Amino acid sequence: MKYALFLGCKIPSQLPAYEASTRAVLGHLGVTLVDLRFDCCGYPARSYSRDAFVVAAARNLALAERAGLDLLTPCSCCFGSLRHAIRFLSEDAELRARVAQTLAAEGLTWSGSIGVEHLLPLLAREVGVAALAAAVRVPRSGLRVAAQYGCHALRPSDVSGIDNPIAPTMFETLIRVTGATPVDWPRRLDCCGDPLHEANAPLAGHMTRAKITDALESGAQALCSACPHCQLRFDAVQAGSTDPAIQTLLYTQLLGLALGLPAKSLGL
Amino acid sequence: MTGARGDICDVAVIGAGMAGMSAALFAAERGLSCIQVGNAGSLLFASGLLDFLGVHPVPERQLWQSPLEALAALGRDEPDHPLARLDADLIRSAFESFVTALGAAGLAYAPLGERNRKLFTSIGTIKTTYGVPRSMVAGVRVLEQRSPCLLVDFRGLREFSAAQIAATLGRNWPGLRQQRIEFPGYEAVPELYAAHLARALESGELRARTIARIKPLLGDARSLGVPAVLGLARASEVHAAFEAGLGLPVFEIPTMPTSVPGLRLRTALETVVSARGVLRRRQASVRGLSFGADAATITLELDGAAAGERVHARAVVLATGRFTGRGLTAERKQVRESILGLPVHQPASRAAWHQRDFLDPSGHAINRAGLLTDAAWRPLDAQGRPAWKRLYAVGSILAHQDWMRSKCGSGLAIATAWGAIEQVARDLRATATG
Amino acid sequence: MSTALFHPALYASLALCALGLAWRMSAWFRVRVGPDACTVTPWQRMVAALRGVAVALFGRRLFRVLGALVLDALLLRRLYANAKLRWLGHQLILVGFTLLLLMHALAALVSEKLFQGYQPTLEPYLFLRNLFGVMVLVGVGLLWFGRRRERSGFAQARAFLGAAFVALLGFVLVSGFLLEAHKIASPRAFYRMTEQYAGTTDAEQLKPLRALWASEFGVAFADLQQPIAADLVERGRELQRDACASCHAKPASAFVSYPLARLLAPVTGLMDAAGADTWLWYLHVFACLLGLASLPFTRFFHVLAAPISLLVDAAAPQRALSAQPYAIEARASQRALALDACVRCGICDERCSVALLARYLGNPDLLPSHKLIATGALAKGRLLRSGEEEHALRAAEGAFLCTDCGRCTSRCPVGLDLEDLWQAGRGDLAVAGLAPPAQWVQARPALAWAESLEAVPRQHGLAAPDAAFAPLSADRRSFSRCVQCQTCTNVCPVVAHSTDAEHGIDLTPQKVMNLLRLGLSDLALGSRMVWDCASCYQCQESCPEGVRVADIIYELRALAVRRLGSVRSRRQAA
Repeated sequence: MKYALFLGCKIPSQLPAYEASTRAVLGHLGVTLVDLRFDCCGYPARSYSRDAFVVAAARNLALAERAGLDLLTPCSCCFGSLRHAIRFLSEDAELRARVAQTLAAEGLTWSGSIGVEHLLPLLAREVGVAALAAAVRVPRSGLRVAAQYGCHALRPSDVSGIDNPIAPTMFETLIRVTGATPVDWPRRLDCCGDPLHEANAPLAGHMTRAKITDALESGAQALCSACPHCQLRFDAVQAGSTDPAIQTLLYTQLLGLALGLPAKSLGL
Repeated sequence: MTGARGDICDVAVIGAGMAGMSAALFAAERGLSCIQVGNAGSLLFASGLLDFLGVHPVPERQLWQSPLEALAALGRDEPDHPLARLDADLIRSAFESFVTALGAAGLAYAPLGERNRKLFTSIGTIKTTYGVPRSMVAGVRVLEQRSPCLLVDFRGLREFSAAQIAATLGRNWPGLRQQRIEFPGYEAVPELYAAHLARALESGELRARTIARIKPLLGDARSLGVPAVLGLARASEVHAAFEAGLGLPVFEIPTMPTSVPGLRLRTALETVVSARGVLRRRQASVRGLSFGADAATITLELDGAAAGERVHARAVVLATGRFTGRGLTAERKQVRESILGLPVHQPASRAAWHQRDFLDPSGHAINRAGLLTDAAWRPLDAQGRPAWKRLYAVGSILAHQDWMRSKCGSGLAIATAWGAIEQVARDLRATATG
Repeated sequence: MSTALFHPALYASLALCALGLAWRMSAWFRVRVGPDACTVTPWQRMVAALRGVAVALFGRRLFRVLGALVLDALLLRRLYANAKLRWLGHQLILVGFTLLLLMHALAALVSEKLFQGYQPTLEPYLFLRNLFGVMVLVGVGLLWFGRRRERSGFAQARAFLGAAFVALLGFVLVSGFLLEAHKIASPRAFYRMTEQYAGTTDAEQLKPLRALWASEFGVAFADLQQPIAADLVERGRELQRDACASCHAKPASAFVSYPLARLLAPVTGLMDAAGADTWLWYLHVFACLLGLASLPFTRFFHVLAAPISLLVDAAAPQRALSAQPYAIEARASQRALALDACVRCGICDERCSVALLARYLGNPDLLPSHKLIATGALAKGRLLRSGEEEHALRAAEGAFLCTDCGRCTSRCPVGLDLEDLWQAGRGDLAVAGLAPPAQWVQARPALAWAESLEAVPRQHGLAAPDAAFAPLSADRRSFSRCVQCQTCTNVCPVVAHSTDAEHGIDLTPQKVMNLLRLGLSDLALGSRMVWDCASCYQCQESCPEGVRVADIIYELRALAVRRLGSVRSRRQAA
């Protein structure tokens, strides 16, 4: 298993623990990660111009294609963006031609030969739940965990679709394998509020708070994310708030602890 | 999840309405690996009530207290009706299996029994049905007894008017009162949506505030009726909390589609199939089928965003519905089956599709159009032979039924899916051993 | 040679330089970047700075500051980590120029005091001066080359002043070499010296010396008979030993000026006649003084600002913990200092996450180096002057497309906290009415936007969404299936949480789809629903008819930026 690791913009600058724990866990599990000179996935440009968005994403795809590697990302938003770009490129020949022209300036091409994978399905399917179970050394027994997939890992399912978007089970399975107990919480598939922060901060605040309250009411002790945006959002809203708080944990950290990796290597 | 890309699965179900979901569920329960294509959009239009067989014969609009007796009569009068081809016990076990699975996914139904039930809807009409969600079942007895009852609705929730129900039913029901209240936290919102309220009530704090607002209004009422907004993922819990908090039976009244019960049903069914390992291709559709030269597998060519993806299966269940589900396409002169162009049993000419009167009690011939199958639920080709040996059809795409007027939609879907999957399992076993 | 003008010019230049420095440095306490910077006075900032200096000098951070002085300010380790070639160039300039300044320009203050018998025409100074000069020239060349190699595709902002200053620097060096070369070759200088130091003007007496200086010291006598007799040269050598050797070494080691002198030999006579020694000296010295006087007013002010910024950064609380930002009094000054400390090296641009977008959208203000200038221009009010509207809008687009990936900050050779600067700049933009689209669109009701759009004479093809730009909203088939079942609204978390009147949304997703169906997309462009969409895709996932609701909403945003943007700039101009 060898992938080009796509970290996106948020992880290296604002959530280095996610990078550290991802590298530690995947390294431990025998997944080889290659670093290419990736740039922004294109996400912020989507509200300005679809073409610009696709061009930015396609350059990353083309870099991976040149290296002959599938892309792996621990960020649900980057995942969604890159997959969306593939969709737009696949369904629009004129767009494809425009993008090809821009990429050609750098000597790059996109043919669609490489895939984009999210961290969760990589662990659940490629590495495999059985292999994970066998590798667990320190089960996190007794810890009740609420799984936060990150919208763009699930929806729209025809673009990202790592699991059934209405009733996903993958993340819960991955939590169970660490020995922790996944909790069922009604708002588990809701948006964390992060994308709304700039446009309408009070509304975004409502959304985030509703999720945290729901996780707490559902008996969760930790909120486990597989997306930097969600994790940062939960932390930002809880920082400086006197409302009841919940521990936030990245999935790679939870798994890393269960694998017996040193907490320091997981950014904890 | 089972069945990674490229693998051959046992069954591919095309369609994700009531019939498709039932087929996928039953297949998975029998241990068959299953892939299911199609979004569960039509389920959003469901009321959450599960009809078995309410009306027969259609022109007379005769309502039946016992679906089993209705089934017997149907068997005598319309032996070609798909339901009539199934054994009553088998249909009942299919229903049992179906609601048990839903119960496991958090959507509880009242015990099914042998009788149809009557309850009133959001516009005050009486609906005869069979399977009733537990959150609605108190309404059945309340309607029978016409005991003192309070109906509460929420300002801004346009699809539901307690006043209208009270106006319609109140003439013969003196103890029926109604009150409109503000939904807590939504006082400033002009227009409310049922699903938002349902989700809000899953928060303990809002639930308590709502209960506190209703409690002083109860008076002599011995039960409370509210629009179907008592929770979505936690419906049972919210309903129980209302009954405990108010100290009387509380029932939900079905609302107009698309409704919260529809969302619950969709979510519960997706949860059920997902938990049983059915591989879902929700937003894909099927462009075409090709039958392997070895006669052992069938290949589905997907369309939509999954365009180009191919799925291989040993058996295929067609559950694409009629016109709204796009299983059938009405062309200028004739009706066509959409994916394979299978022959459709239909009126001889377009002129005969509809009666002159749209509200004609006997319904329209076009509403009995559909696929003809053999006894093993296999659709027939133009020569009257099975189109392919392991291609099956279930649900409303089948001919010789008008489920809307017979009040047998769920029954038709669940029962034919049960029958067809039983057949699939038998046929696959035969292939494996033979 | 008259140098009467020198001292007045020197003092004038020094005064200008000092005034300029004072003015520029005072900006570190005056310029306000970021709305939070407006909450503190320059006085408070100055006090904070002084306190910071005291803490740095007498506190635990002294070692960190000293370390920064050596490693960051002198050895430029950050630059070394990111661009080796440019580091080399920069170090060549830094070392060469500093040594030239000390040894040559400030000889009276430094060299003559340190080295007994210092004479610019003696070894090793002859050689060293040339060496240092060449170091600077090579360094400039390397920087220019490194620059060319990693171009972002955009001309550097305000490149003219920078180029002029580099040209001036080059001119100082070239004129210096020319002056030296001319002095080597000049017979007039020879005669002046012999008169002064050998005490004779007698041609016959000077003959051997002339022979020697012509053959070995490069003086270009026009009237000298060739070939020069060897015994004459030998005789000259004796005279040389007595009269000249204490001040003059053979100039051949001046490995630039000497060959240049030989090259100039044919025209040396003419130059002598024209008084070249005087005007070349003036050119050289006045170029130096001009450089001195203009230093504070060009980007080369960074020679002062950058090291100070590095030291301040080392003295400040560690940035890694920027979750708890330190006092705004200090940060405000640091931001203003950053505007001056930026070297305009463009290293930040090379790995900017949105560099491709900058090129694709044709907007250089996405790039950090340009953004820094725009941020400064906004803070100083220049960006809001009339005539700058286009630039201001570009700057806003650049600021809000930035992904805060932090690569610019981590690569900045002078260690600027650019992320803090960007954040402050975005705050300033918002205050100036240049908010991100999600905010400026929502500042007016959707209906008002639609009316404004109607008032604009419609250009052909603008009314309908551009098919290539927004293919889904242009194609009726993508939304005509909508049956208005309200599922999208029911599953929408934004509508669900939109419970207070002030921050509530106006349209629901299903109403937006309905406007499209009715051909009234103009009414949707400015709607809060379109801009408050969380892009969570619940609507699209649940739509029973397969309408790509969220994808369409994204397209409406892009259309709004384009169409409402044109209306908006029209309004602003009006």
